[in-house]
Amino acid sequence: MGIENTSINEKQSKTVRMTVNGESCEFVVGVDLDESETLAHFLREHLGLTGLKVACDEGACGACTVIMDGRAVFSCMSLAIEADGHEILTVESLKLDDPLVQAFADQSEPGYGTAMQCGYCTPGFVMNAKVLLKNNPEPTTNEIKESISGHICRCGCYSAIEKAIQHAAEKCRGGENL
Amino acid sequence: MNNFKPRVERKHIGTYRPKIESLNKALGRTKYIEDITLKRNFPGLLYARFLRSPYAHAMIKDFDSTRAEQLPGVRAVISYKDPEVADFPRINGSWTDGASNANFKLQWFPLFRDRKILDNKVRCVGDYAGIMIAADSEEIAEEALELLDIEWEILPHSMLIEESLKENAPIIHEEINPDGNILPWDPIAGPFTAEDGERVATFAGEHDVEDRPYTPVNKGNVDKGFEESDVVVETNTRYSDPVHGYLESWSCMATWEDDELVLYSRSYEADQTRLFLSEMLNMPINKVRCISTYIGGSFGSGNTGEQPFFLLCSVLAKRTGRPVKFKQNRRETFEHGRTAAIQKCKIGARKDGEIISLFMSQLGDAGAYADLSPAALGIVPTEVAEVMCYHIPNIRFESRVVYTNKTASSCMRCIGNIQANFAIMAGVQKLAETLNIDPIEILIRNFGDHSPIPNFSIKSALEEGAQKIGWYEKKHKPGQGEIYDQTKKRGIGVGIHNMWHTAPQEIRRGPMQVTIWVNPDGSVNLDAPTVETGTGSNSCAVFACADALGVAPESIAWHSVIDTRSSMKDQVQTDSAISHILPEGVHVCALKTKKKLLERAAPRLKVGPEELDIENGIIFSKKSPEKKLTIKQLLEGGDLIPIVTNVSHYLPKEDSGVPFEATFIEVEVDTETGEVKIINFVIVTDMGTVMFPPGAEGQMIGGQVQALGEAFTEYKVYDEHTGIPLNFNFIDYKIHTSVDFPKITAIPAEYWKGNGEYGACGIGEGTLTNTPRALSMAIYNAIGVSIDELPITPDKILKELAKKTEWRER
Repeated sequence: MGIENTSINEKQSKTVRMTVNGESCEFVVGVDLDESETLAHFLREHLGLTGLKVACDEGACGACTVIMDGRAVFSCMSLAIEADGHEILTVESLKLDDPLVQAFADQSEPGYGTAMQCGYCTPGFVMNAKVLLKNNPEPTTNEIKESISGHICRCGCYSAIEKAIQHAAEKCRGGENL
Repeated sequence: MNNFKPRVERKHIGTYRPKIESLNKALGRTKYIEDITLKRNFPGLLYARFLRSPYAHAMIKDFDSTRAEQLPGVRAVISYKDPEVADFPRINGSWTDGASNANFKLQWFPLFRDRKILDNKVRCVGDYAGIMIAADSEEIAEEALELLDIEWEILPHSMLIEESLKENAPIIHEEINPDGNILPWDPIAGPFTAEDGERVATFAGEHDVEDRPYTPVNKGNVDKGFEESDVVVETNTRYSDPVHGYLESWSCMATWEDDELVLYSRSYEADQTRLFLSEMLNMPINKVRCISTYIGGSFGSGNTGEQPFFLLCSVLAKRTGRPVKFKQNRRETFEHGRTAAIQKCKIGARKDGEIISLFMSQLGDAGAYADLSPAALGIVPTEVAEVMCYHIPNIRFESRVVYTNKTASSCMRCIGNIQANFAIMAGVQKLAETLNIDPIEILIRNFGDHSPIPNFSIKSALEEGAQKIGWYEKKHKPGQGEIYDQTKKRGIGVGIHNMWHTAPQEIRRGPMQVTIWVNPDGSVNLDAPTVETGTGSNSCAVFACADALGVAPESIAWHSVIDTRSSMKDQVQTDSAISHILPEGVHVCALKTKKKLLERAAPRLKVGPEELDIENGIIFSKKSPEKKLTIKQLLEGGDLIPIVTNVSHYLPKEDSGVPFEATFIEVEVDTETGEVKIINFVIVTDMGTVMFPPGAEGQMIGGQVQALGEAFTEYKVYDEHTGIPLNFNFIDYKIHTSVDFPKITAIPAEYWKGNGEYGACGIGEGTLTNTPRALSMAIYNAIGVSIDELPITPDKILKELAKKTEWRER
């Protein structure tokens, strides 16, 4: 986390610089964002990146997951100022032909159900899986289960989500880019 | 793998394919109300927060809001003292499921209108307490609430059903029952009326209110039945109080455009929200505009549609001249849930297993408000008696619902059925053991709707499930199976229950309104208004339209936003039943549209319309397929006027019976730790027509997250002395995640068929029903001790095992 770069005492005049979905941005603390504002709140309310969801607001469900410097983080548990100097990717950075997006969307293999029902948790799972597959292109079922175990899908699509992640991994091994 | 094979092959309905909105959901592009009602979209937006009760039972004697009002950023304070609030009639919190017409007086449960909007009396910790504040941010509103100077009168409280029933118990609702805490009996739950005022489809339990209050079902003579029985078994069970756990909190935003009120809400009944607001605010319906869209999980929570924040945000928005938003925080999402119950079941049977007398009593915990608890324990059992216990000659079901100072119970997925099943099937399990008859035989021999016994649906589901899980190879006497890894024992359990939401059961909804536009380029707009909560009903509507009209689903635009200004009556998503109910109307509308297209194409192709058909948007002659033209070619030379067809389609009223569901569970119990592991889980659901197989399997599998949760880990915990809830968050309230969740084998089936094109039923609710009981039976089969109180936790298992061991050693 970038907390060491942020002097909380330098109120008002402090500028926070972060890269959001490939664009470098500069925000003024006290004007664009508050010191106590969570990253989730800032991304949704200030930047309009509403793909991430704030569901539990206490780090228990994973719906707010974004990628910070290649790691999946709960944006409801991070302060916006902690993103100073870091690179943030939200679900909005994913393209239509992203193999993970495609695998989640297409899952209808008999015996597992669809990979989402209400869809509120889906972006969080997708972003988590993105990091998993970057670090581990051939995850076992147990590794997938472990990786997504911090996420809640109240509709209960876990086994279909696991299938979708496996399918995405296969697509990547077949040459598609994550 | 269970590749389901449909009875009738169709191109889209009944096939494995993605949901229509799945790509947008995977990309995070689906907009929920919470994503629309942002300050960047509505400058000047205010945020409203309620004062929440810190006490389990108390009264605001007086308050001073001067300090709160002086806080910069506070824009309005409203309270029970304001006339525009004080004049609101009392409500029940359950408008949605009971609203079959526009008349407030005719809604369900007229006797249980126990919710006063912004009451100065509070009845549980966290209750809405008399005052609401709107401010520039949620934080400022919360801070202002802290600055209220309130004079509280703290009243004695009751956290248990048993306490509430005591003679000197504190009275929780004087206006409902001044003498005690039992809810009065409301036998008819208000009239269900169709638009012509004709009373339709009551749950026709046999009531004799004068002599036998609190008895939803009284058929034959149970006492005489028990006397005539060879064996009589009795069981005592206790159901717990899990919550919905939806991820998207309830929220709404009210704004006024001149004299028109616009309310955006996470409500799955825009139409009824409009009725509610127009009734409460005394405004004509055409001055109230309600907007709803995709919902991030409901699980029955949407049925408590009379939300006070809809009204209060509207009042605050009027007063401030600015849009006002309210959103529940996570703790507040725990303010409703399942009705807990203390249950008894008594079954009398002949030696051969024929049940001749069935008694069940339930004593339910409504919590602070009645909401839909009277439906859960009063109405649902009548339906269970009618459609599942039809052939049992003597039945008596009693139910009493009691107020306590817990958060209110309400409507939750599988309302009432899951409790009734837990009680009745405990009796069946005991009967099977007493008579030494396989429980499957008892189930086949006794249960079913009005069709002859053995019920084809029950028998087929049980046979298929038994075969799949290996019932006959695996069953053994309780506690006498093999031992694994020195301490582990395995057992197997089974349960059945009726499905619901067949067409005749949904008749009180009135007709489906559906409109299809065929545009001059051949593309189609489908107005089949409903809010998609995740059940796949929108996919079903589009696929039904594609099948009947002969076009590709991709060419059909379905509108996800319900806006009462332009939409027709919407279909309330009280169930995945919309997945078959709405398509029945869509099918009829699409056939009419097709007829118009064929009649218009006939002269162009110089053949009779009866000779024509449509496939993939191409109109062609069935006799000479070379005679063809696309819908686009047919319409593009015209006048730009689309072909519009509107239908109001009534569901078939004829009673077609109901299908059933069987659940089989095999567990491994560690007798040293009390841990239960599910090693096999098979669910067979008969649904008439499997509308959308991956959606159906998703419901059957996914529903088990809730069912296993309520069986094992999900329940509310309070500090008894203060009434303060201790686990109203997703860290302490344990929902199953990927590592907890077992592999579920889902077998969708089409044994039964209802009336209509599809003749299906709802499955989203029923899928939970058998799980807690089948699980309890499997544990009993494994270790020979019965856990009849939910949740089933390792400490209870160890305690019961210890009792058994002590007894043996003695």
